[in-house]
Amino acid sequence: MTVSVDPAAGHLEPEATATAPGAPIIQGRSLGQIAWRRLRRDKVAMAGGTFIAFLVVVSIIGPYFVQDPTVYHSSLIDPTFSRPIGPWGGISLAHPFGVEPITGRDMLARIVDGAPYSLLIGFLSTMLAVVIGVFFGIIAGYFGGWTDSVIARAMDVFLAFPLLVFAIALVGVIPNSAFGMSGNQLRVALLVFVIGFFAWPYMGRIIRGQVLSLREREFVDAARSIGARGPYILFRELLPNLVGPILVYATLLIPTNILFEAALDYLGVGLIPPTPSWGQMLSSAVSNGFYYIDPMFMIIPGLAIFITVMAFNLFGDGLRDAFDPRTR
Amino acid sequence: MTSMRRRKSLAISAGAAVAAVLLAACGGGATSSTGATSPTGGSTGGSTGGTTGNAVANAGVTGIANPSDHKGGTLTFASSSTPDSLDGGNEYYAWTLNFNRLYETPLLTYKSTTGGAGTQMVPGIATALGQVSPDGLTWTYHIKKGLKYEDGSAVTAGDVKYAVERTYDRGVLANGPSYFPQLLADPTYKGPYKDPNGDLTSITVPDPYTIQFHLVAPFPDFDYVVGAFGQTAPVPKAKDTGAKYELHPMSTGPYMFQSYQVNKQAVLVKNPNWTQNEDTEARQNVDKVILTLNVNADDIDNRLISGDLDVDSAGSGVQAAARAKVLGNPSLLRNSDNGFGNREWFIYLDSKVAPLTNVACRQAIEYAANKTDLQTAYGGPVAGGDIASTLLLPGMGGYSAFDLYNAKSQPTGDTTDAKKALTTCGQPNGFTTGLAYRSDRPKEVAGAQALQQALKAVGINVQLHGYPAGNYYGNFAGAPTFMHKNNIGIAFGGWAPDWPDGYGMMWALTSGNSIVPTGNANIGELNDPAVNKLFKDVANPKLTLDQRSAIYGQIDKLSMQQAVILPEVYAKVLIYRPPTLTNVYIDPAWGMYNYAVLGKSS
Amino acid sequence: MITFIIRRLITAVFLLLVVSVITFAIFFLIPRLAGQNANELAAQYVGRNPTPAAIQQMVERLGLDQPLPVQYWHFLKGLVAGENYSAGPSVTYCPPPCFGYSFRSQLAVWPQMVSALPVTVSLALGAAILWLLGGVSIGVLSALRRGSIFDRFSMGVALAGVSLPIFFTGLISLELFSYKWPLFPNVQYVNIAVNPLLWARNLVLPWVTLAFLYAALYARLTRAGMLETMNEDYIRTARAKGLRERSVVVKHGLRAALTPILTIFGMDLGLLLGGAILTESTFSLPGLGQFTVLAIQNQDFPEIMGVVMLAAFFIVIANMLVDILYAAIDPRVRIS
Repeated sequence: MTVSVDPAAGHLEPEATATAPGAPIIQGRSLGQIAWRRLRRDKVAMAGGTFIAFLVVVSIIGPYFVQDPTVYHSSLIDPTFSRPIGPWGGISLAHPFGVEPITGRDMLARIVDGAPYSLLIGFLSTMLAVVIGVFFGIIAGYFGGWTDSVIARAMDVFLAFPLLVFAIALVGVIPNSAFGMSGNQLRVALLVFVIGFFAWPYMGRIIRGQVLSLREREFVDAARSIGARGPYILFRELLPNLVGPILVYATLLIPTNILFEAALDYLGVGLIPPTPSWGQMLSSAVSNGFYYIDPMFMIIPGLAIFITVMAFNLFGDGLRDAFDPRTR
Repeated sequence: MTSMRRRKSLAISAGAAVAAVLLAACGGGATSSTGATSPTGGSTGGSTGGTTGNAVANAGVTGIANPSDHKGGTLTFASSSTPDSLDGGNEYYAWTLNFNRLYETPLLTYKSTTGGAGTQMVPGIATALGQVSPDGLTWTYHIKKGLKYEDGSAVTAGDVKYAVERTYDRGVLANGPSYFPQLLADPTYKGPYKDPNGDLTSITVPDPYTIQFHLVAPFPDFDYVVGAFGQTAPVPKAKDTGAKYELHPMSTGPYMFQSYQVNKQAVLVKNPNWTQNEDTEARQNVDKVILTLNVNADDIDNRLISGDLDVDSAGSGVQAAARAKVLGNPSLLRNSDNGFGNREWFIYLDSKVAPLTNVACRQAIEYAANKTDLQTAYGGPVAGGDIASTLLLPGMGGYSAFDLYNAKSQPTGDTTDAKKALTTCGQPNGFTTGLAYRSDRPKEVAGAQALQQALKAVGINVQLHGYPAGNYYGNFAGAPTFMHKNNIGIAFGGWAPDWPDGYGMMWALTSGNSIVPTGNANIGELNDPAVNKLFKDVANPKLTLDQRSAIYGQIDKLSMQQAVILPEVYAKVLIYRPPTLTNVYIDPAWGMYNYAVLGKSS
Repeated sequence: MITFIIRRLITAVFLLLVVSVITFAIFFLIPRLAGQNANELAAQYVGRNPTPAAIQQMVERLGLDQPLPVQYWHFLKGLVAGENYSAGPSVTYCPPPCFGYSFRSQLAVWPQMVSALPVTVSLALGAAILWLLGGVSIGVLSALRRGSIFDRFSMGVALAGVSLPIFFTGLISLELFSYKWPLFPNVQYVNIAVNPLLWARNLVLPWVTLAFLYAALYARLTRAGMLETMNEDYIRTARAKGLRERSVVVKHGLRAALTPILTIFGMDLGLLLGGAILTESTFSLPGLGQFTVLAIQNQDFPEIMGVVMLAAFFIVIANMLVDILYAAIDPRVRIS
């Protein structure tokens, strides 16, 4: 939530010498190239990025290589304690991450099958926040005046909501099938909507600030002087210059949203079983006391969340440094 | 391996009930015999054997643990949730009713004793059990003379009548049972708040120490109706504050309210106007009782073990983490009890949702379910319970250990018979149906997935629908039209009998007359003429207890043949009691410790 | 300046009004749009025996059969002018701010929130002091020794801190320091007036848990802010003038870097309810966070409305104070 209000990673320096309308786009690219060159030298960020790429690949093809994550292996469970037989949560050749308490379902399969959900919800909700935030941010910053006031007040309203309270309550109020969707489809849509819809003002504020400083630049004046109109300036002149900060903040918003989804799971408003989800695994480990009787059941999904969030944070940090090396 | 041991211990369990001997299956055989109908018989230690080598000591199951007359000290309770109410007229949770006896006394109450006798009704503020007229329609109770509230004012029969009247306002006191409107002649009465000049004419008070209830039909269990709940605990009209009465109910028990902060804490102190002679079933052992609310469940267990807390008020036993600590530690095990929780967990099969309209399709589900996995979902043999095959709980009058669907002989599921049944049903390749469960109950979440997995093996495809527990019976599983509309044929549920006999256990679950549009507990929608007739027969006031028990046994078998309920487990609880807690035993009427007699040793 | 404050006040009231309309719509309108009627809504408050007659009585009692605008009007009226309410035998006046009565326990919402508030304030204040002091000093030191082992290590820990779910750290700390090594045994809330020492001792774990996440965040922000500030021309000028490094850092660098931190701090204090929910439910503290979780579990709409409004109130006030503070420092803000 708070990443987005970071004032330090301020404005870009679009080395503005251009007079031709097409020029800023080229400059945007070259700025991207500079950033990319800087990013490539940042080993920590690249490690984060590589892990994210790995995770995406696992999400897409992983489920075809692991066991069925819903199959029970009751024989691997000690019924008195509901925990896996054997040390380390029942880790064996057949079950390299061990098995789930109570059910004996394969943990590796559940982690791999859960990855797409964590990523999907993280990505989609961030995208929603970015789209809404950028749209209103640009409009507010560029037009100013009463448009700006209305949008700014709207953002204030959103910021005034206690987000978590609201998210739990909202997910709880919606029945199992509504708006033409049902089951997990509805849940994912709902989670994406709730998380994304309440995160956009942070994005909006940052973009608005950027636009405020950009719209006074010479290249905008130049475009205006040769007769370019509002929409053109907005989306052809300003937007390319905003790609950097949007990218940076989106990357930093994803881990926040993944954690947010885990918190919602912890409070009991996540995905519907038997769909595996990391947050749900962690929360059931925490709320059913398995952290004591089978620590591996907590550690494995906990690590999965931790490493993923960490990777996004590292990559996002690197990205920010690449665009604005002063804070390095 | 596991199933072998299970079968053996269950066989003994069944034998125990028949032979009327209380057995501890493992760790040394028979230990004592305390009562013929004790529901706490059975395989208490067997389940832990082999895993840890330790058996639960069960001093509070087989008798009274730490008996003591020591006075003084503070008794601390904690609950992981909010009570439904602390007003006796507005309670339905077993633990709040149990706790209620510390400060409110109904006409009758459960006898405070171990073994089967603990399920009997004995006088509370009444002088004796109800006198029933020959036609079975009028029940008369006399009230002890000289009884006082905490403030010294006298208790009269009028206060009891008023206490019942106020429970008719379901807008203010929503939580209690609704037996009185069902059994008495004037169901449209709206209660004294909305109708201050009205009168509940079917309750009469001929003199200040006599009260009479006039029923529309004979109801032999009426003593339970006035004794098993808090609705007949007297309420002085002048002190009634409606919804706020729970902040300070006028005490007729050994303790009275000093303070109550909702959602946080209630503090009770000695009631100076209470005397042991008038209330034989409760004790005034301590100076102060503190009930703390909304404490994290694992935290409660840890505080119990460290001695900072005396009782987990919910009485449903320790959580998984503490279970491992207790079972793995002989000194903790010495202070633990593992008894029946007076409850059955089961799964409804709705006979009005196709294709479950065909009894063979329901039977296929009964056969195919993996009972061991379901038992594990509820906490395994120690903390979850024994695999069940009947509706009546072991020890109840009429119980016999029949097993129509091989739950005990093939606990991991009988796919052969299941497939046969599917063929009979005309669905040899299986079918698709929905399953409702309470998504905020981890045990049901695990159980629902276990059933889904087991049914997949015979081609039955189950779609899970989770609902919040708060309105599960009001809007979802308990609303037949909702089940039909959404094609949900399976619903998770459970039942703790309102009182420990066949009527309290089975009427709401299987009688055709109990089907209602909301809050329905007969989710299987069984409306079987034979079952309905037996329920009618059993109300005959001329029958003896044994004759009625025999009828309950028949109802149990007939209902199971109809396969509208798939029994999972007879719930068991593993409770830890700190060594300083005295007079502790699992009361068969509540399936938890009897709170009315507890004390502290130091 | 006065007009500015008045303008901000009016905006704040307007904001709260909009928040109340939206919240009301979500809890009362959306369930209806999703197909639930008044009886179905009432069914969840009738306990374990929701007979049709009981549900009907509950619908009437809660006024769920009234049109939504009327229900909203009652809510607003109670908030501003108070509302008469029948607890059964007698009618009592619920003075403003009357947040109505719980659908489940039938007890007034406002006194419950008032009694839960000290717990959350205790939690929030202690944690805020911890994270502000810890986070800022670590951030400053890291920035000054950029690239050092201290910098790398503390930023690594900070990154881990932001990447861990708060309920996770809470449970681990409880398990380790309360049960395994009982440094802080029997954590439960004790009123500060009753026993200040026990109050503080029992809150140490919750404070640290809640502060850990935020301290990490603030350390990162402070470090970034300091690095940027220390590159500014006026710092160079100050150094060139021959000022001592210490006074350059404290007087010029830190002051400039801290201003944005304070803005965020104001907002975070208001937003703290989210963190309090998770911390309080982990440590069983009977504060507003726990109140919220219970209200949501029980679908107790008046309680949810109350807590959302109270939280919104704090957020709006915090934002307003920050704005006014800014306006006092920087006159240009007043004009825009």
